[in-house]
Amino acid sequence: MLKMLDTVLPQTVRVMLTGGFSRRYTNGVREFVVQATTVRGVLRAMNELYPGLGEHLEEETSIAIDGVIHEVVYTQAVPAGCEVFFIPRIEGG
Amino acid sequence: MTTHQNSTKVMKVVGTSPVRPDGVQKVTGVAQYGADYSLPGMLWSQILRSPHAHANIRSINVDKARALPGVKCVIIGSDFPEQAFDYVGPERVAVNYWHMTRNIMAREKALYEGHAVAAVAASTRAIAEQAIKLIEVDYEILPHVIDVDDAMADDAPLLYPDMLMRGVDPAPTKPSNVSKRLEFKVGDLEAGFASADEVVEMSFKTAPVHQGYIEPHACLARYGADGQCELWSSSQGHFVVRAYTAKLLNINLSNLLVHPAEIGGGFGGKTVVYVEPVALLLSRLTGHPVKIMMSREDVFKATGPTSGSSMTVKIGVKKDGKIVAADALLKFQAGAFPGSPVMNAAMCSFAPYEIANTRAVGFDVVSNRPKSAAYRAPGSPISAFAVESVLDVLATKIGMDPLELRLKNAVKAGSPTSWGPKHSHDGFAETIQVLLDHPEYKKPLGKNQGRGVASGFWFNGGGESTASVHINEDGTVVIATGSMDVGGSRASMALMAAETLGVPYEAVRSTVADTASIGYNHVTGGSRVTFATGMVVVEACNKIIDELRLRAALMWDVDVTGVVWEDGFAKPADKSVGDFAPLSLKAIAAKRAVTGGPIGVESSVNAGGNAPGFSTQFCDVEVDPDTGKVTVLRFVAAQDVGRAIHPKYVEGQIHGGVVQGIGWALNEEYIYDKNGRLSNAGFLDYRIPVASDLPMIEAVIVEVPNPLHPFGVKGVGEANIVPPMAAMANAIFNATGCRMTELPMSPPKVLAAIDAKNA
Repeated sequence: MLKMLDTVLPQTVRVMLTGGFSRRYTNGVREFVVQATTVRGVLRAMNELYPGLGEHLEEETSIAIDGVIHEVVYTQAVPAGCEVFFIPRIEGG
Repeated sequence: MTTHQNSTKVMKVVGTSPVRPDGVQKVTGVAQYGADYSLPGMLWSQILRSPHAHANIRSINVDKARALPGVKCVIIGSDFPEQAFDYVGPERVAVNYWHMTRNIMAREKALYEGHAVAAVAASTRAIAEQAIKLIEVDYEILPHVIDVDDAMADDAPLLYPDMLMRGVDPAPTKPSNVSKRLEFKVGDLEAGFASADEVVEMSFKTAPVHQGYIEPHACLARYGADGQCELWSSSQGHFVVRAYTAKLLNINLSNLLVHPAEIGGGFGGKTVVYVEPVALLLSRLTGHPVKIMMSREDVFKATGPTSGSSMTVKIGVKKDGKIVAADALLKFQAGAFPGSPVMNAAMCSFAPYEIANTRAVGFDVVSNRPKSAAYRAPGSPISAFAVESVLDVLATKIGMDPLELRLKNAVKAGSPTSWGPKHSHDGFAETIQVLLDHPEYKKPLGKNQGRGVASGFWFNGGGESTASVHINEDGTVVIATGSMDVGGSRASMALMAAETLGVPYEAVRSTVADTASIGYNHVTGGSRVTFATGMVVVEACNKIIDELRLRAALMWDVDVTGVVWEDGFAKPADKSVGDFAPLSLKAIAAKRAVTGGPIGVESSVNAGGNAPGFSTQFCDVEVDPDTGKVTVLRFVAAQDVGRAIHPKYVEGQIHGGVVQGIGWALNEEYIYDKNGRLSNAGFLDYRIPVASDLPMIEAVIVEVPNPLHPFGVKGVGEANIVPPMAAMANAIFNATGCRMTELPMSPPKVLAAIDAKNA
């Protein structure tokens, strides 16, 4: 279903990484444009660019979709043209 | 005082402050805390702790202890399964079980005074205490280091001879006590500072402080002969207790049931385990239930405080108050194992302000102290002390009201953050404005009195929660979650359920279920429970409303689409459905058997859409110029909470954060002797505020609802502890002309500053 959505409705979103993640995983590249309609699609696209990166992002990050913070959940929708920013997951007291 | 913004939805139950469901049990002593549980055949455990801040453990001889009548078992670190050396999970809270098992019990080295080195299980507590004195440990005492700057020095004693700083490229080849470097940067710092009219750079130090929960850690463990285990434990998350304990002892999660004992305060410090794996291992080896209760001294010497720090902050502003550049260097004590909250501190440093050019660099540094643990908005209060102090200096330099300076630079929805994405919520400017409008803010002060302001930011949390809702046979309601009730969540869950279902608060029984009775819930921390667990309670209630409509439709022989739910009753959607009298929960519950059986649902979420918390505060102080004693005259604390579900609890959270902040500001510190031993491991000498130290604290609840929560919740537990230290320092400066840059601002330090100024 997710795959079909991504295939049937190609749309692009802007993916951003923090400096720390980019230094660690993408040779300093921080900004990407990928086709996806869900967080799962974004992770898959990032993993195709940098094999193994998807799992790191899944394990270590939260995401800000146009600034709204979400946990990484596959089914979370990403609107066309939005900014998906992977940020460190925070733990409070 | 409550200020509503954009809050139009009228609520019947949410927003009221009824009596808490757990109140009577707690005030009458009936409530069961971790130390209150006992089982037949139970053994008592005592833990032997290192008297040295840093020492190799050459050998441990337990023969004499084992020979003592009444002793059933003695364990040392190597009795626990070894764990792989690997950092697992998100960077800020990456868990390294190789470290964790060594924090539970030392192996090769004792890394701080109080570090557990052995444990005894015996038939009485007295025998266990006697037995640990018979354990012979051969230590090789090593040089120790406690202060973070000392720990970073080239010649510092190394806690780990193979620790290479992470986060730098290329990786260093020389080991150090620095576990990690991190950096968040946006814009052009150099150009930003070049464009500033005023630049201030200052250095600060903060003392590590304990969370100061009243209840020491305690647990009871039972390891069954069939491998089925149970734990009764006071914690901020019994699912996390289960996860850590099972991992450290190689037990399947399904074999370990953790019961949530009541909790006597946690503030972040009870999101980790100390005694649970020890008690369960002893129970496995003896076949008896085992109980452990920490003493207050144990709590101070062996459980996590928050970090002490050394910081340098530089900020540049234009004459009109616009901040153009900001730079922070943050060095945090992690304690004996890596994992300080320096990342949070770096991200929160400049979070309240829209600044084009920022950098925050953090260092996570080990030293010979207990491993740091989370404490309310971990990291944010520390960096805010430095940032908000520097802003105060700048406001004075450019002749601007300090609240106006903050208002001019306040972030709003759409403002960039210093770590990347945009802010998506308003709420900060509203907390400033409400104080600018406060009648006390402009009131004149007397001699030796001063007023200080400061602001603070905290992310607030979402994450995984589960809730169930059941309709009893008489139509009353039971809700269960797996979120420990630390700050009144049973009441707030009941309020949200009652509002959603359209029933009275008193008709809802709100409970906290054990790990075998409800799905996973993450810890009660990060100001997440009212938001995330509240969200899933509402979702479960909405599901059960659908089920109730279905049952009513069966009773009326109509299609479910013809039934609506209003004010606690099933009603026909319109006259075409039929002339039916509304059905109450009681009436539907009475027909539960013939309409399909018991009525109940469970829901789970991984909640997103959480919104940050902002707090702005001002305080008035009077400083005794002869003694340096600071008396707090007034404290006004505004916080955007989204929506206050139970306003009295919200006020209580704000009061609590401010009180802990006042203690952090004025008195709390660990005092070590030259051997690295703690000299003040008790509440007599480690001075947390008492009622007579405190003024009336006015909580100003600002409500700018979060549109992504069914009731607009943002979270309330943490942002309130971020501003007080800086607000107090700024007030002391206003009163004395002395700029305090080191916490605590205890009488001797304030007096020394006054004397130095007058010299």
